[in-house]
Amino acid sequence: MLFSKLNRRVLVTAVSASVLLAGCGGVKTTSTGGKGDYPTGNIQMSVGASPGGSTDLITRAIAEGVGKELGVSVPVVNKPGANGALNAKELQSAKPDGYKIAVQNASLFTITPLAVSANEVVKLDDFDLLGGISQDDYVLIAPVGSGYKTIADLKKAGKNIKYGTTGVGTGAQLASALTFKQAGIPATDVPFDGGAPALTALLGSQVDVATIQVGDGIEQVKAKKVVPLAVFSAERIKFLPDVPTAKEQGYDVVVSQYRFLTAPKGTPDDVKTKLADAAKKTYATDAYKKFNDAHCLTPIEVSPDEVRKILDGYATKYKGQLDQLGISLAAKK
Amino acid sequence: MGGFIDGFGVVLQPGNLLYCLIGVVIGMLIGVLPGLGPAATIAILLPITYGVEPVSAIIMLAGIFYGAQYGGTITSVLLRLPGEASSVVTVFDGFALAKQGRAGTALGIAAIGSFIGGTVSIIGLTLLAPVVASVALDFGPPEYAALSLFGVLLVATVGNGSRLKAVIAAGLGLLLATVGRDTFTGASRFTFDSLNLADGIDFVPIAMGLFGLGEILYNLEERHHKVQTPAAVANIWPSRADLRQARGAIGRGSVIGFVLGVLPGGGATLSSLVAYAVEKRRAKEPERFGRGAVEGVAAPETANNAAATSSFIPLLTLGIPANATMALMFGALLIQGIAPGPQLVSEHPDLFWGVINSMYLGNILLLIMSIPLVGVFVKILKVRPAVLAPITVLITLLGVYTVANQVFDIFLVIVFGVLGYLMKKFGFEPGPLVLAFVLGSVMEIAVRQSLLIFGGNPAGFFTRPISGTVLVALIIVLVLPAVRLLVRRRKEKELV
Repeated sequence: MLFSKLNRRVLVTAVSASVLLAGCGGVKTTSTGGKGDYPTGNIQMSVGASPGGSTDLITRAIAEGVGKELGVSVPVVNKPGANGALNAKELQSAKPDGYKIAVQNASLFTITPLAVSANEVVKLDDFDLLGGISQDDYVLIAPVGSGYKTIADLKKAGKNIKYGTTGVGTGAQLASALTFKQAGIPATDVPFDGGAPALTALLGSQVDVATIQVGDGIEQVKAKKVVPLAVFSAERIKFLPDVPTAKEQGYDVVVSQYRFLTAPKGTPDDVKTKLADAAKKTYATDAYKKFNDAHCLTPIEVSPDEVRKILDGYATKYKGQLDQLGISLAAKK
Repeated sequence: MGGFIDGFGVVLQPGNLLYCLIGVVIGMLIGVLPGLGPAATIAILLPITYGVEPVSAIIMLAGIFYGAQYGGTITSVLLRLPGEASSVVTVFDGFALAKQGRAGTALGIAAIGSFIGGTVSIIGLTLLAPVVASVALDFGPPEYAALSLFGVLLVATVGNGSRLKAVIAAGLGLLLATVGRDTFTGASRFTFDSLNLADGIDFVPIAMGLFGLGEILYNLEERHHKVQTPAAVANIWPSRADLRQARGAIGRGSVIGFVLGVLPGGGATLSSLVAYAVEKRRAKEPERFGRGAVEGVAAPETANNAAATSSFIPLLTLGIPANATMALMFGALLIQGIAPGPQLVSEHPDLFWGVINSMYLGNILLLIMSIPLVGVFVKILKVRPAVLAPITVLITLLGVYTVANQVFDIFLVIVFGVLGYLMKKFGFEPGPLVLAFVLGSVMEIAVRQSLLIFGGNPAGFFTRPISGTVLVALIIVLVLPAVRLLVRRRKEKELV
């Protein structure tokens, strides 16, 4: 059977369009050239999460700036899975030539290992660090009609508090669990898949309180739809200056999400310096500062050594606190 | 109402008109390609929006989102490739119509239904958004649990073959939904220590494999037995009789889609399924469904478009993004210095009404574009299977890869392709499996969240008005026919 030219054209267009679009997702990186002339090709930044989340948006903001600084394309590729562990393991085995880098979450190294099975655990030592990026804080909120204003009010309620979190193995879960245990408040953890469903459930009073990322809930706080009870940062944050920290209220709970830039282990020093400098210059731009403010992110643009210190500190502290209080984030076996 | 009229002023600015057009064209194109969804596309285009006026940017991004719904129909009908969970139901009758040479009818009805569903939903959004948003908040985990249970039970009735086989397929779908990390304890379930399975299986490889690849493999075998010629493409446009037949389905689908679309997480899928089931139940000859009933395409296509539109309500009125695409629009607005929240309508009326009103226009543009495109796309069916099949396979594999940029997913789609082939060979339909898979994970999470909220007492489901009503209705629907059957049997016995 013959088919007309038109049909052939339709098919060719369809196929070439799909090839083209698929190509956008995985642009080839050419890594030829010797020392000193890095970068000669595109630098791929992978994200261990789907498009739309904070890590994705931060990666895209940095990719934009780094691309301009280094004069190359910086395509962003989403590789969601296992809280980012899938992407981390891929980066770990990538060629350490500076053409594949990624923003990673501290929680993957400090909190997730406390909740998931051993094969999903990723180690910080398997990466070269390029520097810190920013801190994303958590806030404990309650519906306006509930009358709760502080953590002490929850204790006075004298009932089992149902608290929504952004999921198992997240900072939101850890911060809530530590707070309620320290305060001696009987409470039930109700995990949701991210901040939006947790916030929806809270607005509908399906749960008594919820812990979500500040950026996800700040508009509801401003609109007086929800009451912030505490932030879990070490000090008050500029986005919610009137909200006391959990620490101020007498609970030793300091939990936040923290993101940093990583490359595969063994990346040459000069390449690392170039990347770190390009990132630093990006952080200094007004566009990037505006981005941070819009998403309620506090910049912590520190050196790789300090990143390691911050992460090690968190990991040890969390584990110690959980052991001491007898809390388990993981499945009870 | 002033804001509403000013909104049209915003939309009718030439620049915004152009962005609306660009958005819907891109949306329609990526909708045609299975796999690459609106979320990934918007993520890629995000940097472009930084330099654009906020209203224009969101008009374009919104266009991509609802335009993709139009495009998704085309592959579902022509190639049996549903790119999204909400177009799975369309495949049942859409592909059957295409096989009878009536692909034009199916696509035409889908375009008209999509237009009407979308428009009705925008009218609903215009008039009722704040009310609907506050009602949606009453939907907590227990209500989701009841609704998704309702959905899973409906799944068994949508098929056309044996009930038992549909139930078995749905059971398999529910089992597949349990793969991955337990959302509540972090324990790995059926992951075989593979990180690729840690988050469970994505919908796309399952649907593409069972429907698309399975069909191709099956046809390969069939062709050994008989010479297969592609069906002649009879009429390009639906006849007046078709339209009359689809009228009711489009009306009911619009309402069902609007209402269920407000619910984030599974709302669109559920609405297409419910709309289809309603039509099948109302039909005088329900056995026509699955064999090329025009209403079987009209109902789900109308409903999923209406749902796509009403899924904007949580974002625009509460500032809560209902899905990944909405989250990206949320991000795009933040960059522009506009924080979507409960005060969006009062603080930025031009944006609020501009975006809503652009959807009226976008839907008209999509309808106008669809008419000539239907004619072009149906010609694909004139291509010999020997040429079309490998191209479809290529598009499928590429599409699956783009979802998470993982080669693993390509292997997964092949596995499900073989399963799809075996199912077809032994008379099992993939629809119940895929739908149960989608609704199963919603149901599991909702049930377990509910039980945590109720302190472990299942009686809680019946003490809440909405979940209680749904569950009681379910019991009546399930128990009544069983009782009736018993009574009839007894009577028959008495007669003997």
